[in-house]
Amino acid sequence: MLLLPVLLLVFYAFTNSGNGLISFRFTLQHFAKFFTDPDFVSVLGRSLGIAVKTTILCVLLGYPVAYFIAGSDERTRNVLVLAITLPMWINMLVRTYAWIGILSKGGFVSKIIGLFGKPDVEILYTEAAVLIGMVYNFLPFMILEINTSLCKMDRALLEAGNDLGANAVQRFTRITLPLSIPGVVSGISLVFLPAVSSFFIPKLLGGAQYFLIGNIIENQFITVGEWNFGSAISMIMALIMMGSMYLVRRFEKVVSGGKEDRR
Amino acid sequence: MKKTLALILAAILALSLCACSGGAAQTSGESGTQAEASAGKYAGQTLHFYNPGEYVGENILSDFEKKFGCRVVMDTFESNEQMYIKIANGDVYDVIDPSDYMIERCKQEGLLQPLDKSKIPNLSELEPGVLAAMDFDPSQEYAVPYFWGTVGLIYDKTVVDEADLKAEGFGILKDQKYKGNIYLYDSERDMMMVALKYLGYSMNTESEKELNEAYDFLHEIVTTMDPEIVTDEIIDAMAQGRKAIGIMYSGDAVYAMSENENMGFYMPETGTNVWIDCMVIPKNAENVELAHEFINYVCSYEGALDNSRTVGYTSPNVKVAKEMAETDYEGIDAYVPRTDNPNDETFHYSEAGRKIMADLWSRVKIAAANQ
Repeated sequence: MLLLPVLLLVFYAFTNSGNGLISFRFTLQHFAKFFTDPDFVSVLGRSLGIAVKTTILCVLLGYPVAYFIAGSDERTRNVLVLAITLPMWINMLVRTYAWIGILSKGGFVSKIIGLFGKPDVEILYTEAAVLIGMVYNFLPFMILEINTSLCKMDRALLEAGNDLGANAVQRFTRITLPLSIPGVVSGISLVFLPAVSSFFIPKLLGGAQYFLIGNIIENQFITVGEWNFGSAISMIMALIMMGSMYLVRRFEKVVSGGKEDRR
Repeated sequence: MKKTLALILAAILALSLCACSGGAAQTSGESGTQAEASAGKYAGQTLHFYNPGEYVGENILSDFEKKFGCRVVMDTFESNEQMYIKIANGDVYDVIDPSDYMIERCKQEGLLQPLDKSKIPNLSELEPGVLAAMDFDPSQEYAVPYFWGTVGLIYDKTVVDEADLKAEGFGILKDQKYKGNIYLYDSERDMMMVALKYLGYSMNTESEKELNEAYDFLHEIVTTMDPEIVTDEIIDAMAQGRKAIGIMYSGDAVYAMSENENMGFYMPETGTNVWIDCMVIPKNAENVELAHEFINYVCSYEGALDNSRTVGYTSPNVKVAKEMAETDYEGIDAYVPRTDNPNDETFHYSEAGRKIMADLWSRVKIAAANQ
């Protein structure tokens, strides 16, 4: 049952259904169509680009927050984790809609910028707006993942490091960071994957003009009705994601320096 | 703990039941005094009305309820396609209000039932030009107009030279003078219509050559004119005069123009889309009698006036349209669409054509995104 939709997607991606499911033939034309059209490829590039930017920002913003949370006492920690989780109880779509109001002309952000003498700045419908929306939506996942791995860390290791004469920076780079890498890695996969295929955030905050690969897929299914082509693009995306996940796992192994073997 | 909870729930349930029956009694009470004759017939009945969002007068439904002692339940849809899926899946409504091409499709697929025109005497109050334009249902066998209008160019009179509009028509969208100052409307149907009409073709063409030329026209606009492609936010944006030119439905232009007196509305001589949204009764309607009564009421002077006054779209009722054009919307020419240009067309349903247009328009949008 879990596999059925995926199998159907693969089937659609490689076929050319004449009229429904009865008459079809196998083809690679959808893949050829995608890669021979520079417009599609540059949209793909932009989607990957914005997903990478989102992920980097999430790591940079999420790590200090998670570090701070993990370092506080248990009561504060629980409250802070709750505060991070709280917005996730509200539907993502609704929260993204709220950003439209915040970012639009005359909205909160443009009023604030107006105070510094640059009136009427509209951030809505720009790449910055999309980036803000993505980071906002996916940052909690990153924080929670890193926080979990930091909390699991044995504090005695830090004390041992201290006893052995490591200063604070060394303790962080030699002990804390490597031990939190698994959290960062699973955070990356929780942020990067949805960011690369998100379609409603670019649609709402980037405007009709801002097309990411997710929007093309949505468009092919919903408006154009080209299920085969849409499936082919989804497959391409799935392969890219698998590839990038493989790379991230490799990176994890290298950074944690084969420590996992010793376990 | 559980028991208290159950008790509270039971109390709430009982209260809400009381409230419900109270409400019903009230409705029938009112109707008894207001319209003795007709009330008895429909007392306690419910009309299920399926309508686009924000597309109904503020009083019309409650007035109808009072007059006929019935209840009206309205659901709203966002697009004709969404409506179609529901109807095709057998959801039951008594009256629905789709657009011309969708009525054509539903009719072809046998989803509608013919109207009994003897029960809709107010049909005679409707604008003959609109009825004549209904080529998807020429003798109103299935459909009765609800609102109608055109698609045109809304423009800032203080920026756009009217001579340019007259000379270039929709071609003004690629006039470098207005670069960075235009809105396109994100709808494959409307944008392909603009392109095809500019080129002098039919908006219902399936000729590959003509469609490709239309694509080239739109592609040129997005690659040279730096337009912004928007959906309904265009209405407020033009009301605030943010850009000089936009593609808009006449009914929305009425609103933008009433908010901003600098705005004008222009329909190119090379033709545009005349659209007509109509009320129809689906085949599986449960309350056909009441549905006819409702359609008749919407066509009446008071029903149509309330609708048009709230929504701002053009009423097919002759008297109402005249009155609105002379009072609330005086001087707003978008309220008075035209029926006299032979180049104007209604949109026709064709699944193949729709797919091609959707594909071409999505390519235009991707090209715009890559700018």
